[in-house]
Amino acid sequence: MNVTMKKEKKRSKLAIEIWNAKYLYLMLIPFVVWLILFEYVPMAGNVLAFKEYNAVDGLFGSPGVGLKHFERLFSTPKAVKAIFNTIILSLQRIVFEFPVPIILALITTEMRGKKIKKVYQTVLTFPHFLSWVVVSAILISMFSEAGAVNSVMSALGIDSIPFLSDSLFFRAMLFITHNWKEMGWASIIYMATISSIDPGLYEAAEIDGASRLKQIWHVTLPALLPLISMRLILKIGSIMSAGFGQILTMRNSVVSESVQILDTYIYDITFRALPNYGFSTAVGLFKGIINFALLMLANQLVGKLTGEKMWSFEKRKKTK
Amino acid sequence: MAKLEQRKRKKFSKLDIVTFIIMTILVILIIVPFWSAIVISFSTNEYYINHRFSLWPGDFTLANYIALFSRGDGLLTAYGNTIWVSVIGTVGGMVVMTMAAYVFSRRFPGRRILFMITIFSMYFGGGLVPTYLNLKNLHLLNTHTGVIMLTLVSVSHIIIIMKGFEAVPKELEEAAKIDGAHDFQVFWKVMLPMNKPTLATYALFTFVDLWNNWYWPMLILTDSDKNLLQVYLRSIVNSASKMSGMAEGSGMGSFSMGIQMACILVVILPVMLIYPYVQKYFVKGIYVGSVKM
Repeated sequence: MNVTMKKEKKRSKLAIEIWNAKYLYLMLIPFVVWLILFEYVPMAGNVLAFKEYNAVDGLFGSPGVGLKHFERLFSTPKAVKAIFNTIILSLQRIVFEFPVPIILALITTEMRGKKIKKVYQTVLTFPHFLSWVVVSAILISMFSEAGAVNSVMSALGIDSIPFLSDSLFFRAMLFITHNWKEMGWASIIYMATISSIDPGLYEAAEIDGASRLKQIWHVTLPALLPLISMRLILKIGSIMSAGFGQILTMRNSVVSESVQILDTYIYDITFRALPNYGFSTAVGLFKGIINFALLMLANQLVGKLTGEKMWSFEKRKKTK
Repeated sequence: MAKLEQRKRKKFSKLDIVTFIIMTILVILIIVPFWSAIVISFSTNEYYINHRFSLWPGDFTLANYIALFSRGDGLLTAYGNTIWVSVIGTVGGMVVMTMAAYVFSRRFPGRRILFMITIFSMYFGGGLVPTYLNLKNLHLLNTHTGVIMLTLVSVSHIIIIMKGFEAVPKELEEAAKIDGAHDFQVFWKVMLPMNKPTLATYALFTFVDLWNNWYWPMLILTDSDKNLLQVYLRSIVNSASKMSGMAEGSGMGSFSMGIQMACILVVILPVMLIYPYVQKYFVKGIYVGSVKM
């Protein structure tokens, strides 16, 4: 009897809590509707990866074909090549792009003169706020065969370089232009962390006779290490995405094969004359699942390394 | 920071000079492409052929801008559409996002599961085809509503705004509740005013995101009178690169590359105007909230 009473009490308590939160539920409705219509319905649409799409039966009614599309994915040389291209390009990006904002943050904090520093930062961050359509258009015009860079070089007596029409140079251009656009923005997080380092640490180091370079090495970098490792692991968690917007806007017919990543592959096979929606979906789903699995793994890793996960589904502590 | 500034500052050392030089070179590398674009857009074809790169337009002309605006292929329509889509998307997005952020900053039955579902959508979703077919089913292909809906909400923005709401002292909320305010009134009268800087920043971020939006608009907008700026720019650039083998220029001193650069500058102008306001806030560390998450 006691138990049932407790249960009932609990139930009515819950009902009261729900009633008290009625405005909260009301305020959440627009978001939940959006979430269902534009996130979860498309997510459910991934079932198309196991179906043969036809327009009559539609997304959910088309007949199933099992794993046929996935078998095709692994037996299509172009698709397999796109998978490898994606992974290699992502790893290259980690080598050639990931460290740049860290170094930039270190240099910026060492720079003297508050006002000029601010002006410089403003300039360096600006390209982040432009689209790849704009950035690619500007940079392609500069690096094309008859563009500014090659003409300045020829004026200096240097042979012209096929920046955009040689696959090796083009790949280098991907890293250079990405750094050009994003390094300033990406460095902000590192600079914020640096500015939160206890100044006492530097004072102590100075008393010990450490030079500024030594201070960077022994104070600044160790303080940045948790953030660096966390962001690095996150990068590995998104290895199947290798810069779609940039490649789509920068590529040309000469180099497009060499930078064919999964996303551009999906794009190309979806918007050609005879698309196979089921197959396209399967490629996308393959990419999504690998990314998600890697991310979960990355989250566990971060948890082990720093004792603090980026996100966790445990109950939030009561905060006062 | 002030202390940090004090600690090492007496005279210029070698390191100071090296950092200054490196930073200056980087800044120049950022500015040069923009400057070059500006110069080309104000140059004539003849001048451009002989000076692919110059610091000042040798024979200043507005011909490229005049040619751009008199093309009559929908630049002004695209401009109007983009303003409309960006403004509506920003307002709508901020309403949905701030309300969701406020709700998630409270404690109520079901919060945990709802938040989990929300976070999950950040890391997994429908791909290109399911999203496209979903829009088709909802009859949103070739509509601005479709474009707006796809970029309406950013879960990472919700989380950052939520953190701002969580930082508001509980006493303020309690005082309001004692005065008889319900949750919505607390949100409207306490939370929003207390978080003005954060909200302004994220409204501007949302606006810029919408302004720069090109991928889905390119895929789903087929009527030319619904075109958006970035898609317009992309089509100009693409058609120019297809004709690059042919003679440049279209009379009156304007030329393909000059028109392209003029178009770029016209497209990025609003972002350049907004940028100083965005910049003022994000260095303050609002963005730092996103380090975690």
